[in-house]
Parts: sequence; C-alpha cells; structure tokens
Amino acid sequence: MTKESKISFLFFAPAGIFMLIFLFFPVMLLIKDSFFQVDMISQDSGTFVGMSNYIESIKSDRFLGATTNTLIYVVVAVSVELLLGLFFAMLLNTGFKGHGFVRTILLSPLMIAPLVSGLIWKFMLNSQFGIVNQLLYDFNITSSRNAIQWLSDDRTALLSTIIADIWLTTPFMMLVLLAGLQGIPVTLYESAKIDGANKIKTFFYITLPSLLPVMVVAILIRTVDAARTFDIVWVLTQGGPANSSEVLSTYMYKTLTRYGEVGESSAMAVLFIILLLLLSSYFLVSMFKANKK
Amino acid sequence: MESLSNTTQEKKSLFQWIRKYNKQFIGFITTILALLFISPYIYIIFTSIKPSSEAISNSPTFFPREFSIENYVSMFDQMPILSYFFNSFITAFISTVLSVFLGALAAYGLARFSSKLGNVFLLITLCIRMIPMISIAIPMYIIINSMGLIDTHAALIITYTSINVPFAIWLMMGFFNNIPKEFDEAARIDGCNIFTSFLKVILPVSLPGLATTSIFCFMLAWNDFLFALLLTSTNAKTATVGISEFLTAYNLDLGPMTAAAVSFSLPVMIFSILVQRYIVSGMTLGSVKG
Repeated sequence: MTKESKISFLFFAPAGIFMLIFLFFPVMLLIKDSFFQVDMISQDSGTFVGMSNYIESIKSDRFLGATTNTLIYVVVAVSVELLLGLFFAMLLNTGFKGHGFVRTILLSPLMIAPLVSGLIWKFMLNSQFGIVNQLLYDFNITSSRNAIQWLSDDRTALLSTIIADIWLTTPFMMLVLLAGLQGIPVTLYESAKIDGANKIKTFFYITLPSLLPVMVVAILIRTVDAARTFDIVWVLTQGGPANSSEVLSTYMYKTLTRYGEVGESSAMAVLFIILLLLLSSYFLVSMFKANKK
Repeated sequence: MESLSNTTQEKKSLFQWIRKYNKQFIGFITTILALLFISPYIYIIFTSIKPSSEAISNSPTFFPREFSIENYVSMFDQMPILSYFFNSFITAFISTVLSVFLGALAAYGLARFSSKLGNVFLLITLCIRMIPMISIAIPMYIIINSMGLIDTHAALIITYTSINVPFAIWLMMGFFNNIPKEFDEAARIDGCNIFTSFLKVILPVSLPGLATTSIFCFMLAWNDFLFALLLTSTNAKTATVGISEFLTAYNLDLGPMTAAAVSFSLPVMIFSILVQRYIVSGMTLGSVKG
C-alpha cells in the first residue's frame, strides 16, 4: 500500500466499517435468507430450501399482480410527472417577472413527507367528506356527492395512489429539468433563429435533444423511487381493496410482518433488486450511447 | 430614409410590447397553475383550523367559515404526540450528525488521495444507493431484533445513519472537489497535519456543503415512515407512525389528523423555503451531476 492510499484508507475506514456492518452485511443476509426457510421466533438459521422461495414467489398470482401494479404505477406516475414537470420548467424558464416567487411556491412540496402526501389525498379523496367528489359534483361532472369511491373501488384505488405520487414529486422533476434547461447554451437558440426555425422546431431539434441526458437521469431516479414506494400506498389503501393497489413494497412488508415469511419476502426483495439494477443499467447504457452520438 | 427608420422602429416597439405582454401573460397563467398545484396543502392547513364539525362535513368547502383551534387541542388528547415529535427529532438529529461526520471524513479521504480500494469502495457506495429500502428493511429488522434493540432510539439511529452515509459521501465529494488543493497545501506549510488541516481548514470552508448534506440527511430521517413502522412500537414511536394512527379501521379522526400533519410538515416547509438556495444546489448536484 502506498502512503497515499494508507491515508485515504484512514479517512474512509470509519464509514467503511459502519457500512460493512449495517449495509453490506444486511444485503448478504438478505441473499442468504432468500434460500432458507427462516423461523422468526426461534431465530435459528433455518433450513436450506434452495430456490423454492424464488419459485414460489414467481408462481404466486399475488406476486405477479403486485409486479404488474408496480409497473403501472411507475410508468403512469413517471410519465405524467415528466410531462407536468417539463411544462412547469419551460414556463418558469421564460423568466417572467416574479418567476423566483412562483418557483418557490412550486418547490415547496419537495420537503413534504410521502406519508403526509398520502394523508392529504386520503382526506381529499374520502368518498363521504372529500373535497374532490364535492368539486366534481359542483361542476356537474358527477351526479352525486359520493359517486366515486376513490379508495374503496378496485378500479380507482391504484389511480388514487398514483395521483398522490404525482402531486408529491412533480416539483422534483420540474427542478431537475429547469436546471437542465438553464444549462442549454443561448447560442444554440440564436443560431436556430438565424436559420429560421420556428418555436416547435426549436423545441424538438434543440431543447429536447439537449435536455435528454438530464431527462434520463431524472427518469432513472424517479423510476427507482416510484418502484419502491411504500408510504403513500400504505396510508391510502394498504394495497387494497382486493389487492387492486398492491405494489411490491407493500406486499413484501405484509409477507414479512403479517405472515412472518422471511425467506419468501427476502427472495422477492432480491428479485426486486435485480429488476431495478437491470432497469437502471439499461437507462445508463442508453444514455451513454446517446452521449456518444 | 427617415420615414423608413421610423416604421422599423415602430414595428420594433410593437414587437417588444407584444413580447412584454406575452411574458406577463405567461407569468399570470403560471402563478395561477402553481397556486392550484399547491392547493391540496393549503386545503389541509385550512381544514386544520376549522371546527371539527366543519372539518368533517358532507359538503366540504375550501375556505374555513369559522376559525377554531379545536383540532389542535384534541390532537394532544388523542395520543402523546409531543413525545412522538421528540422521538422523531432526536433520532433524526443524532443520525444526521453521525452520517455527516462519517460521510465528510470518507469523502475527504476519497476526494484528496487516490487509492484503488477507495475506488472500489465508491463504486459499492453508488450501487447501494440503488437498493430499495424495503429490501434492506427485512434483514435490518432481523439484525436489530437479534441485537435486542427493537423499539429503541438506537434502532432508528443506526438505520438512518446507514442509509445516509453513502448519500453523504457522494454529496460531500462534490463539495470537496470544488475546494482547491492549495488550501490543504497552505495549511500543511503552516504546520498542520492532514487531520488538523481537514478539521481547521477544509471543514470550515465547506460549511455550505455540510449544511446541504445535513438538511437532506435530516429530512430523510424525519420523513421516514417504513423503518419507524417496522422497528418501533411504543417507546421510540416517531411522529409519522403516530400521525398515521389517526386513521384506523375503527377510528377516523380526520380533524386532529390534519392538525398533526400540519404541525409535522409546516415548520419544515417554512424552513425549506428559507434555505431553498442550499436545497436547490444540493438537489441538482446530487441528481444531475451525481
């Protein structure tokens, strides 16, 4: 070891040891447990069962349902957030008088806990006392005050959780995209103007391509976050009714705490990690390719 | 000649006028959209100051008709909410101090001195950020349980610190890389060793970075619900878990719940607006560049 790497080691060793014990070891334990039938109460190491936890997970309809719901949740939430965020970012980027103030307003939900977002929407979407149904009734969109049972109807439960997610994290998307927009050199727009490009052409040929790398990172971060969402779904529906809004994280939580199935929930967690790593590496590789062009 | 330049000038000023008007119009529309966007939060604040009969009404209105602190009073009657807030604060505070300390130390070592082991360590740190918390939650529960720490502050402090350390390392690396190496060298010439030059020179210079990192670490711990739900039951129960209990199958205390949700989030909102510059720089640094 050179002197320099020795010094470096001294500085990162405390964090390294901490992470080894409380992050690396848990992940190893997770992988190990996924091959065992673990008894939560006696806390012995359990019996080795090979791949059976994985096979059981993949074969169960509930796991497949939760995976589908997670995918719907991620795709719908992230695309709406991207469009809304881009819309707000472009409006703010025009630099109108007072844009700083409006940006502050729009950014304020960033610090709200997902739990609180869940509570707010639980309150607003309540079928008896909720203001959403009241407004729909007032504007003559629905015929009665409790026409839509947002949280207890299996057709709308997942949608309700997605609404809460979109509301909470669109500001994040907007912030990242705004930073990206402001990083596009003005000269690009000037030369486009000289070449006689109109606004729509400028948007598709300059703004979008220049924004692409930032957009990919933002989508990646949001995809990983939306895929592991727990608080919002737990508070709003707990995955119900009839598992219609069950996502992977709530299902794993229930498998662990309600049914005490450490092995099976670990196997699902490992599958989940692999899925996310594959997804994020796909994103990163495609971004790398785009950058090369 | 004169008339020609006159008409072009007129055209120019008309164009400018339209542009100016256009911008104001965009500003107006955006302001209204922004207010609509955050109206759910405003609605919760308004609801929390309604009398309970109005808060849970079959025909709810946006603005309160009557002002009352009833919900805030009954919030205290329903559960020991103050001790939940204390638990949230103490675990978030201690874990923030720990993770920023460990993170800054590691980031300095990795940013200033090249080492192969360090690069491997950085790569692992990045990978760990990708792992969903729910999957860490399962083995964490088993480890904390076997240590006999279930329902203690230590359980949450350990968990939050371990989640925040990798994040703190990456964020602080960004800040240290922006501090010129000459700072360290000057300190060394003045007789500091590596550790004292880090403590006396580098840390004070990177105060904005430390502040940003602290805010993010604190917010993660303060807003956490999953681990608190899993690892605590009575003694160390945090505010998020407490607030969620206003809504159970048998009990729908919506009025006090809105009061608790506002008390929990409003101070943070105001604080975040005050220090927004740091938050924005940290966000963009952590996401766009990281």
